[in-house]
Amino acid sequence: MMLRTIAIAWLTIREAVRSRLLLSLTALLVGGLFGLPLLIAGDNTLEGQIQVILSYTTTFATTLLSITTLLTACGGLSSDIQDRRLYLVVTKPLHRYELWLGKWLGIMALNVALLTLSGFIISAMARHAIQASSDSIQHKRQVSEQFLLAREALRPLTPDWSQIAEEATQRLIKSGRVPDHMTPQAIQQKVIEEMKIQRFTIPPGGGVQFSFERPEGGPTGHALILSYKFDSTRPERSPVAAQWTISNASGPPEQVAVTNYPGIPANLVLEDNFSPGTNKITVAYQRLDSHSQATLIFADKTQEPELLITYGSFEMNLIRGLIIVLARLAFLTALGLSAGCLLSTPVAVFVAFFIIILIASAGYVESVATSGVFYIPHEGPSLEQTRLDRVVLHLFQFFNVVTHPLTELDANPLLSTGRVIRWQLALRALGLLAGLYGAITAFVGIMLFNRRELG
Amino acid sequence: MGEHNELVIEARKLTKVFRDFWHRPKVRAVNGIDLEIRQGEIFGLLGPNGSGKSTTIKMILGLLHPTSGHLSVLGKSPRDVAVKSKIGFMPEESYLYKYLTAVEILNFYANLYGLSGKDKANRVENLITQVGLNAAKNRPIGEFSKGMARRVGLAQCLLNDPDLILLDEPTSGLDPIACREVKDLLLSLAKRGKSILICSHHLADMQDICDRVAILLNGDICTQGSVKDLLVNPDTLRFSLQSPPRETLSAILDYIERETGQRPLVDHAGRTLESVFIETVKRRPAVTS
Repeated sequence: MMLRTIAIAWLTIREAVRSRLLLSLTALLVGGLFGLPLLIAGDNTLEGQIQVILSYTTTFATTLLSITTLLTACGGLSSDIQDRRLYLVVTKPLHRYELWLGKWLGIMALNVALLTLSGFIISAMARHAIQASSDSIQHKRQVSEQFLLAREALRPLTPDWSQIAEEATQRLIKSGRVPDHMTPQAIQQKVIEEMKIQRFTIPPGGGVQFSFERPEGGPTGHALILSYKFDSTRPERSPVAAQWTISNASGPPEQVAVTNYPGIPANLVLEDNFSPGTNKITVAYQRLDSHSQATLIFADKTQEPELLITYGSFEMNLIRGLIIVLARLAFLTALGLSAGCLLSTPVAVFVAFFIIILIASAGYVESVATSGVFYIPHEGPSLEQTRLDRVVLHLFQFFNVVTHPLTELDANPLLSTGRVIRWQLALRALGLLAGLYGAITAFVGIMLFNRRELG
Repeated sequence: MGEHNELVIEARKLTKVFRDFWHRPKVRAVNGIDLEIRQGEIFGLLGPNGSGKSTTIKMILGLLHPTSGHLSVLGKSPRDVAVKSKIGFMPEESYLYKYLTAVEILNFYANLYGLSGKDKANRVENLITQVGLNAAKNRPIGEFSKGMARRVGLAQCLLNDPDLILLDEPTSGLDPIACREVKDLLLSLAKRGKSILICSHHLADMQDICDRVAILLNGDICTQGSVKDLLVNPDTLRFSLQSPPRETLSAILDYIERETGQRPLVDHAGRTLESVFIETVKRRPAVTS
């Protein structure tokens, strides 16, 4: 079986090489990867330049390979059927699933080669951009530490809200200041929300403190990054002056003055000069603008400050990210081949792209599936749901379950911000996208292909 | 015809109806035909365009599924993969990958037959020589003439030393010498016990090599039988002899007329254009650069 499958895979690769598809694709990929950072203007900082390289080039490579994979896969079988070249192949002693699998392997081998090339180029370009920059060595090191490392995000230690809220809830109930219709659970929930708002809301001149705990045994010696963002209660976006105080148990506190704009993420690079064995780090934010009227909401429920610590090398992170991209391409290849088993090349391409567009609109699908509302009327009362609405809603909910992993397993946001892509995530992507989704698509495709007459 | 009698292809009431998008019957391409092809036999399927020859071959190859009736190939269903390892097929057009060279394409098909190593290399080399493509074996098939591509098609058909060979217009596009070589090859294969089913419009070729033929028309078999039986005219006799002296000939003709009451027709034994062409070409030495 393997010999026949490999023969088909080898034929697919050879066809791509001889028809100059591989050459044109490589030229387009390399040209795009080198050209995009030149075309897209950053914010004239080294950080901006690196982010452009990491974000745009990865997105470009992923998008280009996704489209070409889908096109190649759609034509992989259907063009052979149309040109009748498959007549001779299927009269040989091979099962149609071997033919399907061979085509899939061939296209995936090309994808692996092109993704590897992309990885090398992206990594080399990012490192070269830092080296070639005219910025100070210290700044270049900071940027390198910020982007060319895989970083794990630590969340601040939070108090046990429920225990604190329990006592406050009891006091409220005893005082008789709560409406009769509210249950103790609802009161406690309300109390927790109120406490969080109080904790994260900073009036002019006020401050807030967060504590982080570093895990034992992680890599040390690299800079730490405090990543944070705050919003303002005022519509105007004037800068806010403040001071961060970073301290741990063993050394004197370090103070850094900062000026940030509301709504814009900010990073504070800290030297890792903490003594060994000291795992707890406390950071305090103190507003220096006591005259301002705006109140800052430092973080909402989902966006707390994060302390980014080193997890591993950038290259390994990139490899894991490319594995996720490869898993997506594996699914797209299966989708294209299966569409091409039944349909002619242009129709297969149309159907496959339609499915991709459906997947791309997963955000809307998710919002409908979770809220149960298809659209919000501008004015007037909302309409009552009909039976058809409910059926469609169930369809959306089903589709949301199916498409969620496809949109969730995305390496680009993590890669471009230097966040760690764990092996678990990469393997999950492989298992889910290439394994489960790919296998289901392959099963359907091979079943259709087996039933298809080639006359 | 060989001495074996084992059934290689057996079709009973074989029918193929093509349907439209809505599954409504559109064309009845093959209409309940009965067919038996035995081991070592060269069987010809004749018929005008659209008579159902290619559809029948495609059903035998498992490319099309019969609508009704029974069809077995080498005792099994034509869709059985194991059966395909014993079949060689040469289609009417050379449906080959044009970017591959002759050697590459034969190696590719050899891999599909599970051949590997020296066995594969020897088989490919021998077939390349046998079909006369040694000089062009490393050229892409896209650069080949139709005749050369047909030779590659024939070589791939014989890669697995098949028990059953299906040929759709095997001599189409070949020059007369290559045509003769192919026919000689097929006759030698039949002598080795191979069963051969040929579909062709070249009636002279079919007459040359087929043991039995069937004539298809609108999906039905109109006539079927051995070539000898079909061609013989039992009411007419033909004598052949070296040209005798005029007086002797006249005496013979007079005698026949007297005895039968009919004056026989006399003419010279003819040669085929094929034999004249082959003799002429073979007499002239090949021009080499």
